Amino acid sequence: MSNFKEMLAAHNVSRRSFLKYCSALGAILAVPAGMTPRIAAALESDNRPPVIWMEFQSCTGDTESLLRANRPTVGELILDHLSLDYHETIMAAAGHQAEASKHATAEKFKGKYICIVEGSIPTGADGVYCTVAGETAVDILKKVGGDAGLIIAVGSCSAYGGLPAAYPNPTGAVGVSDLLPNKTVINLPGCPMNVDNLTGTIVHYLTFGSAPAMDRFGRPKFAYGKRIHDNCERRGHFDAGQYAEQWGDHAHRQGWCLYKMGCKGPETFHNCPTLRFNEGLSWPVMAGHGCVGCSEPGFFDTMMPMYKRLPNVPGFGVEASALKIGGTIVGASAAIFATHGAVTVARNWKQVKEAKAETRETTKETTD
Amino acid sequence: MAEITGTTIDKHEAPVECAVRRYLYIWEGQIRIIHWINFLCILILSITGYFIHNPFMSADQHPYIMGHMRHIHYVSGVVFCGGVLARILALFVLSNRFASWRAIPNPFNKKDRETFFAYIKFYTFLSKDTPHVIGHNPVAVVAYIFLFGLFLFQILSGFALWAQADPNGTMYALTGWLFGLMSNQWVRWVHFMIMFMIAGFVINHIYSVILFDFKTKSGEISSIFSGWKPDRRD
Ligand code: HEM
Ligand code: SF4
Repeated sequence: MSNFKEMLAAHNVSRRSFLKYCSALGAILAVPAGMTPRIAAALESDNRPPVIWMEFQSCTGDTESLLRANRPTVGELILDHLSLDYHETIMAAAGHQAEASKHATAEKFKGKYICIVEGSIPTGADGVYCTVAGETAVDILKKVGGDAGLIIAVGSCSAYGGLPAAYPNPTGAVGVSDLLPNKTVINLPGCPMNVDNLTGTIVHYLTFGSAPAMDRFGRPKFAYGKRIHDNCERRGHFDAGQYAEQWGDHAHRQGWCLYKMGCKGPETFHNCPTLRFNEGLSWPVMAGHGCVGCSEPGFFDTMMPMYKRLPNVPGFGVEASALKIGGTIVGASAAIFATHGAVTVARNWKQVKEAKAETRETTKETTD
Repeated sequence: MAEITGTTIDKHEAPVECAVRRYLYIWEGQIRIIHWINFLCILILSITGYFIHNPFMSADQHPYIMGHMRHIHYVSGVVFCGGVLARILALFVLSNRFASWRAIPNPFNKKDRETFFAYIKFYTFLSKDTPHVIGHNPVAVVAYIFLFGLFLFQILSGFALWAQADPNGTMYALTGWLFGLMSNQWVRWVHFMIMFMIAGFVINHIYSVILFDFKTKSGEISSIFSGWKPDRRD
């Protein structure tokens, strides 16, 4: 790979727009503006680690996201320039050649290379649901991931199991950190991950030599440190009490809050509202659809039904909504005590009658 | 103090001639105040909580309605937290034997066991003899322990949900571990469901109070307003 400066020049990227990009990245990472030169220097230096991008049970959505990297002139070049030594979808090599390149990189840069994983790893039936070059995903991950300097799990599937792990999880799909419990795994969940967050994570690593600060689910705080709901442009309508009640109704056309349409923004941590997708053009809520909570652990199951706020519980005939179960609890309690009350009244009927008579009698005596 | 536990009221007793000798001050002021603060908080929390679950009124009825509902929910949540903790504290300090931890039936004590099962028999219509103790009904005490478990979870989950607005803050540091045990959707689900469980308890509670007020003529209902209960021995 050629010198990065030459590469930028060849693509007509001016020094000015390169530095602009670096400061934009600094803003995403929430580091002070004074860090921009350090970021630029880290990107320009020539000892960047190679990247092995492995794909298991996935829809290739994160690769798509990578290929459509916004601000492509610089962002894409950085990722290109990282020397992507292995990426099944976009590498030129195939078959034995491709495998050889993977093994060579893993060998030569042991403990230094960046391992990016896309897709969940099936553990059922000894891992046969996903094999590459005759090896199971579990074995490949343990080997290639185990020797990596940095592991990044891109997309919800590699982070937490995602869609393949949804009930009933026929392949026993799990996320990367489930199989590599002793390694630091940076999770960039999302369906797909936002490529700016990937670039940001890598640049943070190149600049500071460490993983960015992460939350309890292994997600970088710069990208997952705030709730969608707290940064959403429709939040004013939420607090005001202006809600879409049906797709295409007046409120929906006004761009009001999608809470009653099952928006999961209040449960989801991600920087979608500020970073957005496709060159900052839009994001789901902006486009008129509620957040589906894709970047939370437990997605898909805990975030369904998509258009209801809370999960349903299976096993009550058909799936029952929370309200139905709650109503049953209260109804059952009312029925039990109403019955008890009726029986008690019946059993005490005689006593009440006697008491009535006796009270009449006694009060007559005293008033007389 | 007089012997005040474990009497049973004979079913054939004369209905009007009351066996009361005098009144005893059972529920002291602080206990009654805490009871009614908690009652009000639960009422307000349930109304505003249901509104948060399903905003059935809109900006047309009141501007900024969700903001205000949530504000009221959070403020009464903080008060409720104080009320619940105060009642737990009152088990150990500043309360008489009827309100303290000593009112909890001891499963290793034969007499406590007998009283407890006398109540169970009465509730299940297996016996016509109405048991009577002057303090807490021991079956109710067991229900209260369970209820306070629900309260504590409700408080924990409530503060955890609130803390999500700032995952770097102190409140999240104290409560965020809950999300390691269950996803935030299920935390919400349980927080919602406990509201119904509390409502189920309230039905039971009010029914039982009326039942025993009638059956034992011991001023159950008025005692939580005034503190006095008749000291009856028969
Ligand atoms: C008797 C006690 C309580 C009841 C019955 C209650 C009820 C509810 C209900 C029904 C919801 C809506 C859940 C949903 O559909 O998402 C809710 C939400 C919530 N509650 Fe409570 N709650 C109680 C106590 C508390 C306490 C003590 C706090 C802590 C301050 C609290 C804080 C919250 C928060 C932060 C939310 C989420 C609000 C939002 O989404 O903006 N709750 N509560
Ligand atoms: S649209 Fe969703 S994320 Fe936005 S304010 Fe409404 S509930 Fe919150």
